[in-house]
Amino acid sequence: MIAIGLDIGSTTTKIAVMEERKLLYTEIVPTGYNVEKTWKELFAATRERLNLEMEMIGGIVSTGYGRNSVDIATRRVTEIMCHAAGIRYSLPGTRSIIDIGGQDSKFIQLGETGEVTDFKMNDKCAAGTGRFLEVMARALESNLEDFGKLSLVAEKAARISSMCTVFAESEVISLIAKGEARENIIAGIHDSIANRMVSMMGRSGVVTPVAMTGGVARNEGIRSALEKKLGISIEVPATAQVNGAVGAASLAS
Amino acid sequence: MKTFAYFDSGHEFPEEIVMAAGFDPCKILGDVEIGTGPADEYLHNYFCPFARACFTEALSRAGEWAGIGFAHGCDATNRHYDVWRAHIDKPFFWVNTPMKIDATARKFHLRELENFRAGLEREYGIEISDEKLAEAIRLSNRIKNGLKRLAALRAEHDINNLEYLELMNRALTGPRQELPEELERKLDEWQQRPPFPRALEAVLLTGSDVTSPEWMEALEEAGLRVVRDDLSLGERYFRAAIPEDIPPLKALVEYYGAYPQPATRVPSDRRLQYLETAAWENDIRLVISQNLKFCEPYAIDAVWTTGVLKNKGLKIIHLEREYTPTLDQQVITRLETFKEMALQ
Repeated sequence: MIAIGLDIGSTTTKIAVMEERKLLYTEIVPTGYNVEKTWKELFAATRERLNLEMEMIGGIVSTGYGRNSVDIATRRVTEIMCHAAGIRYSLPGTRSIIDIGGQDSKFIQLGETGEVTDFKMNDKCAAGTGRFLEVMARALESNLEDFGKLSLVAEKAARISSMCTVFAESEVISLIAKGEARENIIAGIHDSIANRMVSMMGRSGVVTPVAMTGGVARNEGIRSALEKKLGISIEVPATAQVNGAVGAASLAS
Repeated sequence: MKTFAYFDSGHEFPEEIVMAAGFDPCKILGDVEIGTGPADEYLHNYFCPFARACFTEALSRAGEWAGIGFAHGCDATNRHYDVWRAHIDKPFFWVNTPMKIDATARKFHLRELENFRAGLEREYGIEISDEKLAEAIRLSNRIKNGLKRLAALRAEHDINNLEYLELMNRALTGPRQELPEELERKLDEWQQRPPFPRALEAVLLTGSDVTSPEWMEALEEAGLRVVRDDLSLGERYFRAAIPEDIPPLKALVEYYGAYPQPATRVPSDRRLQYLETAAWENDIRLVISQNLKFCEPYAIDAVWTTGVLKNKGLKIIHLEREYTPTLDQQVITRLETFKEMALQ
């Protein structure tokens, strides 16, 4: 039977399709304003692309902040449990997950059998999230794709002391005015996100191996900053950005 | 009977002295549905929103009250005293309470209660005799006993979180004289309720006082049913009885040393002991610790409390919540995840 996971996040909506627990297909689209319209269109497009009849689908698990809008879901599960399930599928044996998404960041601790033993989420604030990076990229007239690579060639990380997105943007503008190199500012931004994440993780305690998921996991600069601060290596699964949907599909299997 | 209102972010205010003076005490609880605009004209909006909501209520309702009492619930109540006095034309009374329990603190507390009694007598031209105080204490104990019996039914019957909050609201804000009979009727009704729903997980709730119905409903929707707590708008109010066999003011001093201790008091051992015992008595595995944004006593306390309770084998989550009737999805997700974790 086919199992489908739908992860409706604040920024993007993801779908993952599995057959007998084998990952067949994933797709990402922007969530936009109309959450229901977005997942329905994505679901219909996926069915058409894979020639899936409804009777072929054995289970649909929805997750993410829009999970309750999926009226065809056989089960609704929180994104934390789905991220854990996704990592159990792609990187079994992982004990800690760092997930940085569009509007929130999470730290999830797993037990020896992969069960969730603890989790922390950022407070209601964009600092340390994908949104923070978007705002900073705009201030630096860069794009998110270049951010990670640029920070890796920085001579030194500029100091960004404010944790607040709005104030940090002012700080970045001041650094630009002082003539600080763009690469150094970006490295400083990554450092500030890493610092915030490490503080959150410290409250629970880090157990290795550690994996990173969410859209921000694609940013090598953030991963590198986190690795340096924690003194460990961090694995990023190939399905990092769709990890929640993969987890949802595995729970639907 | 005229109402005497009081602002106390904990359970420190001696209602019994007010009752003995012939007033109905009414705890000011604010209203999460009403904005704090009127209070914000005098206070910055980064101060405790609950305290600002209470001030907003006082600004609009003070005309209904004979006077306003303040107790040392937390620093917000302390510093609000002068602000309220400057903007509300009513008799004001300040009752200090010690933050620790020893012989010196008891002596100090007794003097404070004596001063409060004398202050009420002077202001309203009345006499508050020991007999009247003893009578008020007996009534208060009947109310506490009724609430305690009702609250115990939460673990056995289908009594939702909101019903418990509404019961406590009624007990702390409405007329007291007829309350024991009301509670008896409620007891008859609650005892007939269906058993505790299997789909829900029993939780122990601790932290800042919860006055928002929406928050209690959100817990319920996440599948979490509060069966024990140590809130001032909860067990702290009724769990201990006031001694009836010693002089009344001394009895009140003893009472305030015996009830479930808040995070404002030191040391925390007795507070932790109460939480641990409550969880053990009702076989509760899940603890929800929360603090209202800017509520420092519970935000600071949570770091220590959650660690200790976790080491005792309890599953615990700590949340910071906004003073708003609209809950954000992130809080709901955290609560739902907490339940999912318990069911793994």
